Amino acid sequence: MKKNWWKYLAVILLLYCIIAGLWRPLNPGVLQVSPLAMKAGNTQTFTVSTYNTDFDANSGLTAYIKINDTFGIQNTSLDIIAGNELKVTFDVPQKLPHVLKTTGYSMILDAKNYGAFARPNAVTITQETVDIAGAIAAWPQNNFGKFNKGDRAQFPFRSILYESIRNLFYHVPMWFGMTFLLMGSLIFAVRYLIQNKAAYDLYSMALVKVAVLYGVLGCATGSIWARGTWGTWWTFQEVKLTVSAVALLLYFAYFLLRSAIDDEANRARISAIYNIIGFVATIFLLFVLPRMVEGSLHPGNGGNPGFGGEDLDNTLRTVFYPAVIGWTLLGFWLAQLTYRTEIIEHYFLEKYD
Amino acid sequence: MRRKYALGGAFLYVLSTVFIIYASLQNFKELPWNALFWIVALFIAVNAIAKSFAVEQDGTQLFLYQIASGIEVIVAKMTYNVILVLTLFTLSLLAFLLFLGIPIIHHGVFALTIILGSLGLGIVLTFISAIANKTDSSAVFTAILGFPVLLPILLSLIKLTAACFAVETPDVSKDIVILLSIDGILVGLILILFPMIWKD
Repeated sequence: MKKNWWKYLAVILLLYCIIAGLWRPLNPGVLQVSPLAMKAGNTQTFTVSTYNTDFDANSGLTAYIKINDTFGIQNTSLDIIAGNELKVTFDVPQKLPHVLKTTGYSMILDAKNYGAFARPNAVTITQETVDIAGAIAAWPQNNFGKFNKGDRAQFPFRSILYESIRNLFYHVPMWFGMTFLLMGSLIFAVRYLIQNKAAYDLYSMALVKVAVLYGVLGCATGSIWARGTWGTWWTFQEVKLTVSAVALLLYFAYFLLRSAIDDEANRARISAIYNIIGFVATIFLLFVLPRMVEGSLHPGNGGNPGFGGEDLDNTLRTVFYPAVIGWTLLGFWLAQLTYRTEIIEHYFLEKYD
Repeated sequence: MRRKYALGGAFLYVLSTVFIIYASLQNFKELPWNALFWIVALFIAVNAIAKSFAVEQDGTQLFLYQIASGIEVIVAKMTYNVILVLTLFTLSLLAFLLFLGIPIIHHGVFALTIILGSLGLGIVLTFISAIANKTDSSAVFTAILGFPVLLPILLSLIKLTAACFAVETPDVSKDIVILLSIDGILVGLILILFPMIWKD
């Protein structure tokens, strides 16, 4: 129990990741607003469909069209057609406090227990003339800015991603795990070259095996995610996909090299050397090159890969970090099992060959 | 001097490749030029270096082993191979000039790219061929083991070359730093690791 505490930790963390990651609902969000455009000075009724909501007469619903941080248009009437469908009417003034004649404005829905949630660029409004001072002078008083606070911690609603945001707990930890496993493998390769113990070579290879498995799983989970969000299983337009494929190719070559050398000590030494060179190349492939290329589809990319800000909010973090630790520990566990099966194979080969 | 035919052979290889390109694509723009040039360059470099450890007969290997340390041998081989690759790149540029023309605007940057490219390819492929020499089919393994390691270098080279086509003066300092740092790290590692291969 004492020696294997990290395996228990891995199981607990992964159970938590699977249960909390799947069970916690998404925040409510606006799926669709129609019509998409109108002219200033008109009254317009919009059909709004929402996600993960169950509105009724007690929801205390208000809708706004956000012009900027201080000014917003409040709805004049609001009909709840279903738990997730509304008809909202806005009386849009002739003049808006915005410098652009035509631009897209967000629609914000605000309910008592859900809090405020928005759809960016939901409505495009065209003004006849731009007159900011006049618009501010004639602006009707309303409750814009005094939003309700939601009472639950839920995963963020992002258009395009929707429920697939949960893949964050599987896809991203695969690459984290792969990197840590490869680091472990590098350390064992160096230790082998210093001390020439056959066990270190086997550990090194077992870690690469699991790392490659993680890499393949990372590609698979990413591919499924890409199908839903980018509309394709795989694209070479995206630099991260290309470099990760090449990094996997490098470690496939590592196994091929191992199988091509018969002498055991020779094989261990040569593959340890290739492992070290390969790790340097992998670091450049996975962490330097994507930063050099503009226009990546991965979030937070195009200069600085990584996440932060809106892409990873605190509710996601509470599951994401345990998932990274859990998957990494599971990887080392798998590597240990691979090492042991390798030892058993060796034993029987020597005994019965 | 032992391989007089090597250089001539490589040059004929380049000529025939370029001739095939010329025959199939009569006129084309910068983008395919960039791709084709680096494909040709990669393959001649691999072809020229793949055998650099295999051609030594056992006697020569033993002789070298007695008179030189591992570091001396690898430094000598790398220097020779870098110069060889640089020569081959120059020859292939000549062949490209003859048949296809060179649509480069910034000649200085391109010359630097070629020098950095031969440095990177020469260094990496020398070491990889030393590793591949431990297997039965060293030429195949040089290609298999070498391409993934070379890819970061090649992508930077292709990016640099693409910048040479642009009308405005390119800002290439970032790519050059990347290339130099890859080369530097690899040379350091190779100097540490090669003696272990050379030992037996």
